[in-house]
Amino acid sequence: MNAVDGVSFEVDRGEIVGIVGESGSGKTMTALSLLRLIPEPGKITSGRILYGEKDVAQMTDEEIREFRGNEIAMIFQDPMTSLNPVLRIGFQVEEAMIAHQRFTNKQAKERVVPMLQRVRIPAAKDRVRDYPHQFSGGMRQRAMIAMGVSNEPSLLIADEPTTALDVTVQASIIELIRDLSRELRAAVILITHNMALVASLCNRVIVMYAGRVVEEGPTRAIFKNPQHPYTWSLLRSMPRVDEKEKERLISIKGLPPDLGKMPPGCKFHPRCKFRVDRCFTEEPPLAEVDPGQQARCWVLMKNIPDPEAQAKT
Amino acid sequence: MAQAAPVIQPDLELSYEMPEQVTLLSDAWRRLKRNRLALVGAVIIGLLFVTALISIVWTPYPTWLQAVGPTYQPPSAAHPLGLDQAGRDILSRIMGGALITVQVGVGSAIIVSLIGIPLGLLAGFYRGKVDTVISFFINIWYGIPDLLVALILVFVLSDALHLIPRGVLVIVIAFSLTRWMDVARLVRGQALALREREFVEAARMSGARDFALLARHILPNALGPIIVQATFAIPAAVLFEAFLSFLGLGLPSPTPSWGAMAADGYHGMDFAPHIVLAPTIALSLTLMAFNWVGDGLRDAFDPRMRR
Repeated sequence: MNAVDGVSFEVDRGEIVGIVGESGSGKTMTALSLLRLIPEPGKITSGRILYGEKDVAQMTDEEIREFRGNEIAMIFQDPMTSLNPVLRIGFQVEEAMIAHQRFTNKQAKERVVPMLQRVRIPAAKDRVRDYPHQFSGGMRQRAMIAMGVSNEPSLLIADEPTTALDVTVQASIIELIRDLSRELRAAVILITHNMALVASLCNRVIVMYAGRVVEEGPTRAIFKNPQHPYTWSLLRSMPRVDEKEKERLISIKGLPPDLGKMPPGCKFHPRCKFRVDRCFTEEPPLAEVDPGQQARCWVLMKNIPDPEAQAKT
Repeated sequence: MAQAAPVIQPDLELSYEMPEQVTLLSDAWRRLKRNRLALVGAVIIGLLFVTALISIVWTPYPTWLQAVGPTYQPPSAAHPLGLDQAGRDILSRIMGGALITVQVGVGSAIIVSLIGIPLGLLAGFYRGKVDTVISFFINIWYGIPDLLVALILVFVLSDALHLIPRGVLVIVIAFSLTRWMDVARLVRGQALALREREFVEAARMSGARDFALLARHILPNALGPIIVQATFAIPAAVLFEAFLSFLGLGLPSPTPSWGAMAADGYHGMDFAPHIVLAPTIALSLTLMAFNWVGDGLRDAFDPRMRR
C-alpha cells in the first residue's frame, strides 16, 4: 500500500510552501518522510529526498540523526503533548542544542534565554525554570518553535502549527514563523488545511489528495485560477469575505479513498463533478497548465464554461 | 412572618480556586499527605530507619551478648522487651534487626530496579526482537518457583561455591535475581506507552540519541510507577529474609534477624511468648507500613486522582 506516491516538489531557501489537503491525504507522511521518521511499519520504498547535494533517503542512521533538528526542524500540531511534562522548558531548549555539536554545553546554556526572547516569550529569564504545564498553549508552541530554530535549521516544517491553538494566538504564531524564517533565511513547509493561512503566508501551494500532488503552483495562481476540480471545490467550500453575490458554498461529497481500496484512474473521480470517461480508467499525469502551475487532471477547470452551475447539480 | 426569599449564594470559593502550579513530585507529595494510613506507615518507616541508624552506634547491650540476665526473663524495667532463651536483651536485638531489615529491603529494591529498569526500557523502547527475548525471559522467570530458586541460590552462592559469605548481601542477590520481573514488566509497559508520546517523537525529530530519549524523556516520565513498584519490593524482600532466617537458611546466628529471633523463641512459646511476639510484631508493623505507603504512593502518582 502506498500512502504517498509520486510526490515530487522543491523548496528553495527563504521560500514558504504550503501543503494543503484533507485529513489522510498524505501531508504529514510526506513531511515525516523528509526526516525519515515514518511510523512503523511504514517505510520509504523508492525515491530520493535531496537536501542540497545529499540524499536523505540514503543516509546512515547516525547521519540522519545529526541531520534532524540541525538542518531540518519540525514544529508539531499540538504543543500540549510535544513537550516533556517532567522537564523544565529551559532544559528542553538547551537539550535541543546539545544534541548537535554546533554549540558547547556552556554556549547552549547561555543561548536558552535569548532563544526564548526571540520567540517572544515574556519574562523569558524567569520562565526558563518553568515546567510545560505552567505555560499556556501559545507559549508552549513558542517554546517548541524555540527548540526548532535553536540550531538555525535551513528548513522548518510546521505541521498544522496553529490547529490546536486559540484563534487569537494563531495569528501571532504565524507571524512569528514568518519573521523567523526571514531572519534565518530558512525555507518553511507549512502543512495545513487552513486555506486562509496559506493565502496569507505562502509563496507556493501544493495541493495533495490521496497521497498524490494534484495541483501545485504560486499561491496567487492557485487561488485565482485553480485548475484541478479538487482545488477548485476546496476553495469554493469556504466562505469568503469578498463574495459579491449570495453564493451557496459547495461541498465535496464523500470521503477520500481508503488506502486499501484506491479507485482506478484518477483518484478523485468518485467525488468529482466534472469527470469524463477517461477519468475512470487512466490516471492523469501532473502536467504544466500555466507557467509554474501544474495540475493532475484530464479536464482542467479552464475548459469548463460554467463550473458553478455544474457543481450544484 | 413572611419567609425570606431564598437567596442563591454562588460558591465563590470554588470560582476563585486557581490550579496550583506544582511539579509531579510535589504534587504527589501533597496528595500523599492527605492519606492517613500512608502517613502512619511513613511514620513507622521513619522510626525503623532511625532505629536502624542508632543501632549502628548504640544498643542497650551488644546484640550478641548472652546471659545479661536470667534466660526467658519477661519484660522488665531493665529489659523492656525481656530476655531470650540465651539471656540476650531482646530490645537490643530488635534494634539490630531493624538495621538488617533496612539493608535487605532497600538493597533489594535498588538491585531489583537496577536489573528491571534497563531491561524494561530496552524491551519497551526497541520492541521487536529485543522485546521478544526480554519478554521471553520475564515469562520464564515468572514460571519458576521463586522461593525454591532463591533458596538454592543462597545455598549455591554461599555454601557450595563460597562466592559470597552468608549474610545480607547473598539474601539481597538471591531475592533480586528471582524477583526482578515485576519492575521489568512495569517499565516495559511504560516505555511502550511513552515512546509513542509526541514529546518523544519531537525529541527524536530534533536529533536526540536513543540514550537521551530513554534517559531524559522516557525514564523520568515512568518514575512514579517505578517508585511504587520498588516500594512494594521492600516488604517482599524483608519477608523473604525473615522466612529464610526462620527456617535457619538465612542469616547465621547470632545475627539479630527478626526471622531468626522468632525461630529462637518458637520452642518456648507457651511460657515465654514475648520472645516470639517482639520480632513478629516488629516485622508485621514494618510490612504493613511499607504496603500502606506503597498504596498511598500509587494513589498519589495516579494522574486520575489529581484534583
